[in-house]
Amino acid sequence: MMPMTTVSRCGASAVRVVGTSGDRERDWKLVHQVARRASAAESLGVLDCIPTYDSVLVEFDATRTDLATITAAIESFIAEADPDSPLNETPRHFDVPVVYGGEFGPDLEEVARIVGLDADEVIRRHTSPLYVIRCLGAPGGSPMLDGPDFPVAPPRLASARTHVPAGKVSVAGRQATITPAAGPGGWQLIGATPLGLFDLRREPPVPYRPGDTLSFHRIEAAEFARLEGTALTAEEGAR
Amino acid sequence: MNGSLTVRTAGRAVLTDLGRTRGPALGLPVGGAMDQYSARVANTLAGCSEGAALIEITAFDFSFTTDCDVLIAVTGARMDVYVDEVAQPMWSPVFVQAGQTVELENMVVGLHTYIAVHGSFEAPMLLGSCAPDTVAGFGEPLRTGSTLRLRLEAAPLPDIAAAALEAVDLDVDVPAFGANTIIDVADGPDIDEFAGTEQRLFHGPFRVSDRSNHIGVRMTGRLPVRKFSHEVLSRGVPVGAVEVPPGGELVVLHRGRGVTAGYPVLGVATPVALDALGQVRPGQDVRFRRCTLEKAAADARYWEERLTQLRLRVAEAYAQIGRPELNVGEHTPVSAGPTELWPPHE
Repeated sequence: MMPMTTVSRCGASAVRVVGTSGDRERDWKLVHQVARRASAAESLGVLDCIPTYDSVLVEFDATRTDLATITAAIESFIAEADPDSPLNETPRHFDVPVVYGGEFGPDLEEVARIVGLDADEVIRRHTSPLYVIRCLGAPGGSPMLDGPDFPVAPPRLASARTHVPAGKVSVAGRQATITPAAGPGGWQLIGATPLGLFDLRREPPVPYRPGDTLSFHRIEAAEFARLEGTALTAEEGAR
Repeated sequence: MNGSLTVRTAGRAVLTDLGRTRGPALGLPVGGAMDQYSARVANTLAGCSEGAALIEITAFDFSFTTDCDVLIAVTGARMDVYVDEVAQPMWSPVFVQAGQTVELENMVVGLHTYIAVHGSFEAPMLLGSCAPDTVAGFGEPLRTGSTLRLRLEAAPLPDIAAAALEAVDLDVDVPAFGANTIIDVADGPDIDEFAGTEQRLFHGPFRVSDRSNHIGVRMTGRLPVRKFSHEVLSRGVPVGAVEVPPGGELVVLHRGRGVTAGYPVLGVATPVALDALGQVRPGQDVRFRRCTLEKAAADARYWEERLTQLRLRVAEAYAQIGRPELNVGEHTPVSAGPTELWPPHE
């Protein structure tokens, strides 16, 4: 059976595919599989694919192909996809130390107020899950995660910060992430990791990929200084 | 020892190319020349591959000297071009002898001018592209005194051949940059979220704000209003997306945009319109025009065909001077595949 999707036109050189099965896990695997197939179809004129949680944007060269051809190809990729097979056969695990609150996470108290929990409980719920890295996002290949189990989804900031330093740990809506590279940002900052995620000397510049797992653990400010500048690396052995 | 250029007046300039197509899947923007057509023409005229590294100048004067004979081509926003104080044309190959000084001055209309040099430049690469990424901290602006090493080992062209090449009429199509920029926009996938107010986009004009850059061209005017507000999961956003984020400005995302975001996409600027947008200046007014996807694609193909014809004429010109091997100009279509999207874990 054809997986449930919506395929929409996104200008003359992009198509957006959204998984609509209602099963987030299956929708996520589906759109990543479509991205892999579309990226590998060289003759199709695909420039790049951006798979995320439940959607994939396929960007193509409008002078080398046309919407009808691309749409037909994407529909065949959808039909061939198996949303039950794992995205990543050999997932690795990344454990991320975080100092919460204060200057490290200036929005922690505000997030606690919005979701109706105390700060310690926000931290407990943020450090509890084994997260799956859903995709790499902006800026700089951020590991995009499902949000922690909060009673209320904390909204994005009404006005984005013009500068968020690298290493900030943030939440917004039903999502969570870490900022690998400094840039503007509209998410709520609840903490910071001393580890470096982004390294220009490496391709790709971040060590994880979609389907890998990630967890957070709490550290104190003194340990932040000791670990600062250390590179984030995968844990040894399978998890 | 390869030849090199030395920057004398840096203004605001970088080495760039057509962009990093391997970036978006990894969370990095595609980046690259803000006016892709002009960049491609410059490289083609200089006998380079379209995707070769070239200099992108923004707004200000720029000058350099060379320690070897070079063939250059200047395209994009209109500037006065001098080689040792003798005026030279844009949109044409120009021969420069070792020791001469090339000066570009007086950009008044448009924002980006391109200098391609036969043989192109050595440049640091990230994921197959030298295009700067300011968020990732990749790529340095050119500075006074910067030395740019050419990739050719010897002087690229004998001066007689270069003179012959300069004399050929290559009949380049020069786009109009001006005060009355019209931006063609196709409907976006989330246009319904604006519940009729999207019409305001086409009533304009909109004034380009000085907060505009390679990430997005920002504008003020009578803004469409998002009628339904709900937190959405981050999604891939196309280059050209027209969005109305909080803050009182409309933004048309350009090649340096963050690849994922959660704002609804009202419309998408066409590929040709993106080049025009890459040339607008803060303070300038622009208008939007609603465009079908069919027209957007047809316009893109029209300019692509002009480039193909130009490439053939340049190849012919090199053949006529008896040095066809010196023209490496080719359309190297960039593509994400067939390489693995994700390299294997080490």
